[in-house]
Amino acid sequence: MSDLISTQDLTKRFDGLVAVNQVNFSLQEGQVAGIIGPNGSGKTTLFNLLSGFFPPSAGRITFCGKDITKIPPHKRVGMGMARTFQLVSVFDSLTVWENLVLSTIRFKRDQQSVQSFFFAPARKRIVVDDCLKSLELVGLEKKASARTSELSYGEKRMLEIAIGLSLKPRVLLLDEPLSGLSDHEIGGVLDLIHRVKKNFALVIIEHKISKIVSVVKKLSVMNEGKILCEGDPEQVLRDPAVRECYWGKEEENCST
Amino acid sequence: MRERELIALLVIAGGFLLITPVLSVNRVTDFMIFCIFAMSFDLLYGYMGRLSFGHLLFLGTGAYCSGLFLKYISRNPMLAIIVGILVAGLLGMLIGLIIVRTTGACFALINLAFNHIGFFLVLSPLRRITNGEDGFGIHALPFGFLNFSSRTTMYWFVLICLVLVFYLLKRVTSSPFGILIRSIKEDETRVKFLGYNTFFYKWVTFVLAGSVAGLAGTLTALNYNYVNPNVMDVHGNVGAVFACLIGGAGSLYGAVVGGVSYMVISNYLPIYIQRWEMFLGFALLMIIFRFQKGIWGYLQSVWEYVERKKTVMKAIGVGAVKR
Repeated sequence: MSDLISTQDLTKRFDGLVAVNQVNFSLQEGQVAGIIGPNGSGKTTLFNLLSGFFPPSAGRITFCGKDITKIPPHKRVGMGMARTFQLVSVFDSLTVWENLVLSTIRFKRDQQSVQSFFFAPARKRIVVDDCLKSLELVGLEKKASARTSELSYGEKRMLEIAIGLSLKPRVLLLDEPLSGLSDHEIGGVLDLIHRVKKNFALVIIEHKISKIVSVVKKLSVMNEGKILCEGDPEQVLRDPAVRECYWGKEEENCST
Repeated sequence: MRERELIALLVIAGGFLLITPVLSVNRVTDFMIFCIFAMSFDLLYGYMGRLSFGHLLFLGTGAYCSGLFLKYISRNPMLAIIVGILVAGLLGMLIGLIIVRTTGACFALINLAFNHIGFFLVLSPLRRITNGEDGFGIHALPFGFLNFSSRTTMYWFVLICLVLVFYLLKRVTSSPFGILIRSIKEDETRVKFLGYNTFFYKWVTFVLAGSVAGLAGTLTALNYNYVNPNVMDVHGNVGAVFACLIGGAGSLYGAVVGGVSYMVISNYLPIYIQRWEMFLGFALLMIIFRFQKGIWGYLQSVWEYVERKKTVMKAIGVGAVKR
């Protein structure tokens, strides 16, 4: 199977710091991959490079066989790459359904005409109905008219994922989707991921390793900007180098 | 046109008609022109979150271009209005390519710089045609039954322009494009990750705001039959900022309410207080620290509070049981 995303020697330097160091990462169509690693290991920087948040210092990114290294983020979204952010990023001043308008109308040809986009009310039935469908998927349909600032952190996280899903991506990059959530909310997000993961490829950055092991088919471990180890999640977690990176060196004889 | 939009337009037109006998036709015409300018400014500041200290450049461009057109080319007022709007829009298209790449203080100051350039351009290098500091008089011929020399005709014409601009901007700000520019105000980066080229949409907003300000400029020229560099004086930008803040930024109603409030203050306060600008400074401080939503914003909050209270009362069944 051909790679959906692949990077070749991808590197990002911030002055003297090498945040991502010659990373070769690949993802296949429909695959669910996880990226773990300690704080500052370069996971989010890798996401930022993949999504076009900033350009790499060296290396190449290809998406669907096309070199996208110099392509701006909005065009990458158009090609089918969507992402969420580590800190929830939704529009607080808008209502919940309004948050979904921009991503929803991208796929409506009749809504993209100049007249519709610039002059027709966003409240048009057809737009609102589609936004509600996306909200139903994440269980927020009853709060559609509420101001987004009134949502809880977990609800905002769900809304952000709903926005990503409404972009109908070929690959969705989720940056720490479980961080800051209660156990109940984590259950909700994982359930959602299980329900939608068959539709597209998924890359998840997460600290809570135990929560995503059951979801991902491929796990990559990053440390100091490099991919330390990758492959089957169970095997990767048994790797001594990974265990050392996460839990420190195991003492051979533990005496009290 | 939806029922709510029609009611809004009638309320605004009715409001201006009501204050006319109290004030005067001349003053209310001035107020309405300023409100058109305030709405164009609010599109940039209130909706898109880009504070400009040089928006008067477009009003001045509209005024000068229509004035010069009437003086040197044709005395047809309608053509002069079109020329004023088009040139202001074209100027927006050109300098917008540079300006909309910036944000924050840089955006405000680049606008100020261009405004200064425009001001000194009409004052000195172009003085042969603009008559420098003294300005020049214009005389427009009647257009059909519209005689722009008549104060009453001008009043009605400006009122119609105000209502049309309000309607146009209301449609624009309620559309997906309106949601887009409000989203840019909050988090431009996020909008890029929704697949939108934010540069283009910021540029469109800038050009639209410039064109509407250009219309306000042409109306100013026609109203006074005279154009001088004061129409482009950078100090005038304070008025637009004040109007949007006092009325409530990010709302066309707020821009109109703020526009009228500012004009009332600047026209009538000097009668009682000699250095009235000092009052403006204090008022601005009060708005920034205690009154951030502005008049319209607070009215909206009260409305939302009442609506919410009604919903809660309904939910808990208060009023359902009669004793």
